[in-house]
Amino acid sequence: MLRIDIPERNNWQALAHELGFHFHTIGGEPYWKEDAYYQFTMEQVEQDIEAPTEELHEMCMELVDKVCHSNALMQRLALPEHMWDSIHNSWKSGQPHLYGRMDFAYSGSGPAKLLELNYDTPTSLYEAGFFQWVWLEQAIEQGILPRHADQYNSIQERLINAMAHLGDRIKARTMYFSCIKDNAEERATVHYLQDVAIQAGLKAPFIYTEDIGLRAGMDHFVDLDDKPIHALFKLYPWEEMADDGFGEQIPQLNTHWFEPPWKAILSNKGILPLLWEHFEGHPNLLPAFFENASSPPLPAGWVRKPFFSREGSNIELITPSGQRETVDGPYTDSPWIRQAYHPMPRFGNNHALIGSWVVGDRACGMGIREDVGRITKDSSCFVPHAIV
Amino acid sequence: MSKHDQTPHLPRRKRSARLSLAVMGAGAFGLTACGQPPQEEQITEVRFDEPRSFQSVEECVAANIYTRSACEDAYSASLEAVPRFSTLEECEAEHGEGACTAPSEEQAQAATGSSGGSWFMPAMMGYMVGSMMSNTNRGRSFERVYQEPVYRNRQNQGNWNTASNQATQRVTQRNEAMRSSVVQSRQAAQSRQATTQRSGFGSRSSARGGWGS
Repeated sequence: MLRIDIPERNNWQALAHELGFHFHTIGGEPYWKEDAYYQFTMEQVEQDIEAPTEELHEMCMELVDKVCHSNALMQRLALPEHMWDSIHNSWKSGQPHLYGRMDFAYSGSGPAKLLELNYDTPTSLYEAGFFQWVWLEQAIEQGILPRHADQYNSIQERLINAMAHLGDRIKARTMYFSCIKDNAEERATVHYLQDVAIQAGLKAPFIYTEDIGLRAGMDHFVDLDDKPIHALFKLYPWEEMADDGFGEQIPQLNTHWFEPPWKAILSNKGILPLLWEHFEGHPNLLPAFFENASSPPLPAGWVRKPFFSREGSNIELITPSGQRETVDGPYTDSPWIRQAYHPMPRFGNNHALIGSWVVGDRACGMGIREDVGRITKDSSCFVPHAIV
Repeated sequence: MSKHDQTPHLPRRKRSARLSLAVMGAGAFGLTACGQPPQEEQITEVRFDEPRSFQSVEECVAANIYTRSACEDAYSASLEAVPRFSTLEECEAEHGEGACTAPSEEQAQAATGSSGGSWFMPAMMGYMVGSMMSNTNRGRSFERVYQEPVYRNRQNQGNWNTASNQATQRVTQRNEAMRSSVVQSRQAAQSRQATTQRSGFGSRSSARGGWGS
């Protein structure tokens, strides 16, 4: 794994605008960067990222099954009790999920270490699945990369297949797509998923999360015309939905959710200590434990994370040499876990994090985010990769 | 090497051969990977034509979209793409206990061209059939059936879209009790108001900003 400086494509900003990628620059700071790329070998990709991702995914599915059969484990994960039946039923009846992303610390040698799972509302999907792919094709065309260069990326193709599979099983092949208002980046990600759904032959109307309706006497949540929503993709996390005003209604109505309720088990950082308990010593896992009232202050070489946190918020770490880093945030109202610190590889000033994608049940691609800090945040840049 | 790249028709490659956008951005956009299809032919538009998934060849034929031979071809090609193991234990070690099966006669025939042979594979919940249609600069278009297994069968029947599910009796009873109490309170509410409530989700968004992770 190398970080290699290369020329940018001419006029890529104009192309980005043409292709709906309006958030390539956020708040004046670059988000998409292509003055460098991360270079991998085929062996690194297949043996160190793809194969472990599939193995960890199966381990996660095994744990979901265990948690679904244990109220004690549901409790340990702080899942609200009124959601237990929905979680259990969605798993037992085989409700499929769509996608997820695992974040790894990996330096090019040795086993990739799982830092966390983003299995409910993962983003950076468009960048990884589409724009990164276009970059590679054009970089080859323009002689920036050799003709034999490749990329670990069948994300969009897999999404189309998975979406078609879902389409065959939902009423009128219609899936609603939703995200909250006033967030351009999330709207773009959902727009991309709508595009994928349309390519898979589905009808894909959009509704803002806030506009989802509840109407007396209806078996489903309703759209703005009070028509039933049979299936709905939400870029909005289960722990918030469950707590929201309509949360208590979720188990009572027949709307199908993507991701399904059982994903609440995996989008919770409490899954990390459970993984360690069940698969202690696995080469791709880091030691992790639940924090409790008698836990000592955070020692050097450890990271502290809330159960529910997004974009690096409320994470605190102390390196083995005693350097402390924290990110502020609003997620102070859930329990915490501790995970052994494992350094991300550093290239110049940048720490690189690997996001490994799973669609359906298959590992299918990767995206790299880099940050000058040791904690990856929403401001961390996306840098493309190639297999050379 | 990855087990998943055994599809015989394509060179080993980790990226999709072609991608496009249907509605996002200023206009439809299609690109194709270098060297495939042959370079003199340039694809200008690609369309996935409503791919569908089926659980068997018969279900595919019954849908009356594809010919029987297209259904059979896609089915056997998708079986070829399924990883095979010589023992049940090896398969379960990789895919989880109870997730593997021996192929049926029909599956063995489709996958290897001969019946019998003792091997094991993760159970398939369905397979895809679809076509990609492309317009090229030569004005030709071609169609290729593609296929692959999508989800693994984890000891459930994939019946998630039906009303019945396999919840335990305890769970079912609890659900029923809750459902009827909610129906009653909803009917009571209905008599008070027949309007639709909104803003029941997403209300905490202003406090925390975005949700992507």
